[in-house]
Amino acid sequence: MEPLPRLGYGLGLRPAYYEEILSSRPPVDWFEIISENYMIPGGRPLAMLERFRSDYPIVMHGVSMSIASVDPLDMDYLSALKRLVDRVEPAWVSDHLAWTGVHGVNLHDLLPIPLTREALDHVVDRISRVQDYLGRRILIENASTYVAFAQSEMTEWEFLGEMARRAECLLLLDVNNVFVSSFNHGFSAEDYIDAVPVERVAQLHMAGHTDKGSYRIDTHDQPVCESVWKLFERVRKRFGPVAAMIERDDNFPPFSELLAELQRMREIDAAILDGSERSAA
Amino acid sequence: MKLAELQAAFQSAVLSGAGKDPTVLASLTKPAARERATGFGVYVKAYRLRVAEYLEEDFPALKTLLGDKRFEELVVDYVAGNPSRTRNARYFSARLPDFMQESDKWRGEAQAQGVARLERALSDAFDATDGDACALETLAAHAPQDWPRLVFAFHPSLRLLSLPAGTVELYEALSSEGAAPRPELSDGGEAAAVWRSGFDPAYRALGTDEFLALNEALAGKSFGVICQLVAFQQDEASAPERLAQFLVNWFSDGLVVALGEGDDGEGLAAP
Repeated sequence: MEPLPRLGYGLGLRPAYYEEILSSRPPVDWFEIISENYMIPGGRPLAMLERFRSDYPIVMHGVSMSIASVDPLDMDYLSALKRLVDRVEPAWVSDHLAWTGVHGVNLHDLLPIPLTREALDHVVDRISRVQDYLGRRILIENASTYVAFAQSEMTEWEFLGEMARRAECLLLLDVNNVFVSSFNHGFSAEDYIDAVPVERVAQLHMAGHTDKGSYRIDTHDQPVCESVWKLFERVRKRFGPVAAMIERDDNFPPFSELLAELQRMREIDAAILDGSERSAA
Repeated sequence: MKLAELQAAFQSAVLSGAGKDPTVLASLTKPAARERATGFGVYVKAYRLRVAEYLEEDFPALKTLLGDKRFEELVVDYVAGNPSRTRNARYFSARLPDFMQESDKWRGEAQAQGVARLERALSDAFDATDGDACALETLAAHAPQDWPRLVFAFHPSLRLLSLPAGTVELYEALSSEGAAPRPELSDGGEAAAVWRSGFDPAYRALGTDEFLALNEALAGKSFGVICQLVAFQQDEASAPERLAQFLVNWFSDGLVVALGEGDDGEGLAAP
């Protein structure tokens, strides 16, 4: 497999920060867009995207591919996605291990699947078909989940690893989602991280979530919490400097706070590098 | 349970708000720290919150007009009968004005329907297909004697709306930051044009004669034919001056994206 470019430290591109990014040209290595927000005929979003892509590498992240749905693949959606891919020329394209609806309905959520061999066969087949259609490998992200199914036959990390191997796709590892799901379902986030195949992970997501006491929800409206930063260190030691980014989708702070989170990533990486050089010496 | 059955049951319970659906709950394992219904409830609640948020974002003036409680009622009614069938949340609210028109409960709310239709058209204009507006100088390149043969292409975002009389003024009052007085709607109707000027949605009310003229121009009729139609249907004496002003307005508003010369008799309808 040809490795994807190592883009460095990125942010989710959101309209709330358009003007600031254009005026200050911040030290961000790349931006990730939500694909669906630009799958529109024209207007300001597409015009702004043209400006950003002339200055920064862009990756496309979708929320509606519904790769695990039992509905037939939505070829209208995939065709619109492909048109956007042709226009944006992203470094890569990703979506989630989830379904968003059946019978033509879309619940606009990343819904969980039972971790069964039936679901695995289904998802592998669909990822392969999507990759053939788009003419490129895609990245699949682990979603946060709030329920687990009694009929599941394997762990989520076993499912992801097997899925990536059989579909020959790559993985977008969301560190916050690992943490949220581990809390909600009572498994070890460290075991999860340690079992995901290193060669498949091409991008990392970091984000904040909401602590509801007995469970946690992936809301992207808070700073990254300390437990997730701790997990990030472990992830970096295992997966190396693959492209990593902060997702923020609500309760938008001053842009400088997101830059500070990126800086913290850089410092963690520098400390890991420093530590490994010392031990090598 | 097969994957298809599980997804059908899960979706059906989310759509109906059945957070304790026995089929779904029976398919789940019980996490250590909480009940199965708590976890499933996250999906049930999230769906309602999310679609309500889409509607609030698209119809702020309508929400002000109806008030929080009645707007929430409208959201519940719309969501119950119109599960989203679009991959892009941006289009979820597209049917709200038609839903209000078709609903026994909301059909009588003429003001609200008008405002909903106007707000929806503004959302559509925001990301409609691009077009480069012609400057007024483009018109000057055509000799006045050729004007009757002029035909127009308009910005792809341009939509003409038929609304209850006073809707545009009401929308402005609802959208103003201060407590602007809300005009009473009179009987009858009014027309409005909605389009995108640069990156921003724009709108204005249209008089009967300009609505007629724009409608004909959109249908590809030449300016000469439009002049005859307007003169026939409206005040013949003032028609030429008003039509010349319309033409200038269409250019200065950025509505016209191409100008050509058609045949003299194109689309001519005998008066």
